Amino acid sequence: MLNIVRKMEGDKAGFALEGRLDSVTSPELEAELRASLDGVRDLTLDCEKLEYISSAGLRVLLSAQKVMNVQGKMTVRHVSQAIMEIFEVTGFSNILTIE
Amino acid sequence: MIRGLPVNRILNKLKSSLSFNTIGSTVFLLLIFGAVISAVSLINFTNVYKEAYAVSSFHMADTATTLVNGDHIDEYLAGGEVDEYQLSQRRLDLYCEKICVSLLYVIKVDRSDYGSFVSVFNSVNNTVDSTSYTRWELGFERSTTNEEYAQKYEALYNRESQYETIYRKKVSSGVHPHITIMVPVKNSDGDVVAILCMQRPMSEINAARKNYLASIIVFVVLVAVLTSVSSFFYMRSRFLKPIRKVSSEATRFARENTKGKNLGKISRFKELSDLADSIDTMETDMVNYMENLTAVTAEKQRINTELSLANRIQAAMMPHVFPPFPDRAEFEIYASMDPAKEVGGDFYDFFLIDDDHLGMVIADVSGKGVPAALFMMASKIILQSCAMLGGSPAEILTKTNEAICSNNQEEMFVTVWLGILEISTGKLTAANAGHEYPVVRKAGGCFELFKDRHGFVIGGMPGSKYREYEIQMEPGAKLFLYTDGVPEATDADKHLFGTERMIDALNEDPEAEPEQVLRNVRKAVDSFVKDAEQFDDLTMLCLEYKGK
Repeated sequence: MLNIVRKMEGDKAGFALEGRLDSVTSPELEAELRASLDGVRDLTLDCEKLEYISSAGLRVLLSAQKVMNVQGKMTVRHVSQAIMEIFEVTGFSNILTIE
Repeated sequence: MIRGLPVNRILNKLKSSLSFNTIGSTVFLLLIFGAVISAVSLINFTNVYKEAYAVSSFHMADTATTLVNGDHIDEYLAGGEVDEYQLSQRRLDLYCEKICVSLLYVIKVDRSDYGSFVSVFNSVNNTVDSTSYTRWELGFERSTTNEEYAQKYEALYNRESQYETIYRKKVSSGVHPHITIMVPVKNSDGDVVAILCMQRPMSEINAARKNYLASIIVFVVLVAVLTSVSSFFYMRSRFLKPIRKVSSEATRFARENTKGKNLGKISRFKELSDLADSIDTMETDMVNYMENLTAVTAEKQRINTELSLANRIQAAMMPHVFPPFPDRAEFEIYASMDPAKEVGGDFYDFFLIDDDHLGMVIADVSGKGVPAALFMMASKIILQSCAMLGGSPAEILTKTNEAICSNNQEEMFVTVWLGILEISTGKLTAANAGHEYPVVRKAGGCFELFKDRHGFVIGGMPGSKYREYEIQMEPGAKLFLYTDGVPEATDADKHLFGTERMIDALNEDPEAEPEQVLRNVRKAVDSFVKDAEQFDDLTMLCLEYKGK
């Protein structure tokens, strides 16, 4: 349902998300992030192939954003229009750095 | 049930009996084996016997040649040496009788083509094999019986062999089964001058073969019977008893579902004792499993009971008696919540802050199930408490956010739309903390998405600021609030219901009462989703402002 491709390079971490980030799959991403965010200063989430994000998925993004607020910066990339709408409705577009 | 005849029943039982089948196939194989062995050994026996018979016959015939004077054959034929001839003929008659052969004769073959011969001596003994030969007189001429005889005569005259043999197995008219032995008669110079033929009955060979065959058959049958009887007892004690033990234990276990006595070592064969071990292990495992299952089921039941109680508590926490304000004619409100699981994270709420102000809330906690429900309960209470203290929607949301953020380690959040309706004027003041856009229907118009300004979700970040806006409600205006469970209802092919379909469903009957509005939407969602499982909580609220 959700495919996560992780790319680590020094203190940079990149995650490409593919599929649906909902209450079933978001624990996977949460565990991945928890395991790899130590010492990371630049986190990039590529949402090009992300089809859907639910509130449980938003919660994981919020957690990551909070961690990265302390450690460095987090960027969300290639956000589709459908997901951008969700970000806007929930106000996440105000707290996330979206490119 | 129709029962077969007793014989059929017994046959069916035998057909399915392991020992009967095993013994049956053993006997069958033994019989085939016996038949093959018998046939092969009979052929060998016959060959050896025939050879020995031929050799002994040769010696008998060879002895007979000593009774004939080879130097005088031609004289005999010419009618000379009468005394000597008669003496020899008498001796040959006697010899023929003593050695029990049916014919003994000496012939002189025409050597030009071996196609005819003349008889010299001829002794007949019809008593040996009930034959009816007549004696050939001296000088009796006869053509050779067939080509085979001619070739054999030639071989003997040319000294290519010591003796020749011809078998006549088939009984034809006047001829009995016999072996004919031919040996050369020589003169004192060693030249072959005549042939002595001896015809010996085959009955001896045939009798010996019959005896031999009979003894083999008796032996094979005896071995087959002995083998089947012993294999029956062997099967019974070594296989059937252990198998019966296992099968009766398995039957008992299936009936009683309790651990029985261990079967232990029931056989010295590994396969059977393994089977018994497996049954023992299976019983232990099954009993453990059943106990486990019972415990787990009980535990699950307990959790289910708790969950359904929690569901009732949660439902009771939200206004659930409609109409909620029967004495207020200025507005009509209806709401519903269908959690995807027993308890949900969505909630709606409405309450009179004072006589002229109606507070309305619709909210959606991140995630689902028990965690969401716990967070929802806290959010709902805090939100209502803040609202009851007075203040604008933006202020209420800000306060609520601070309260929730202060103790939110799991980083749960809730999206909230909060509105306060001034009942006397129809002025609706609202603020949105990351919740779906409300849907507004102006009096006499259509339902339309109202794209309001959004603040960040409650519980997400401390210090979030919220802005409020106003909507003027005229009598007949409606407000429809919902959670993402509605537009994100998903069918089996993962297609989303979407806000457009929702708006269409609302506009099917814009004039409908709030309760009917909710039913219309629900119906549209259900017919879209069909059999797919409800994935998210589904919560809706509809307000109709009627004015004074």
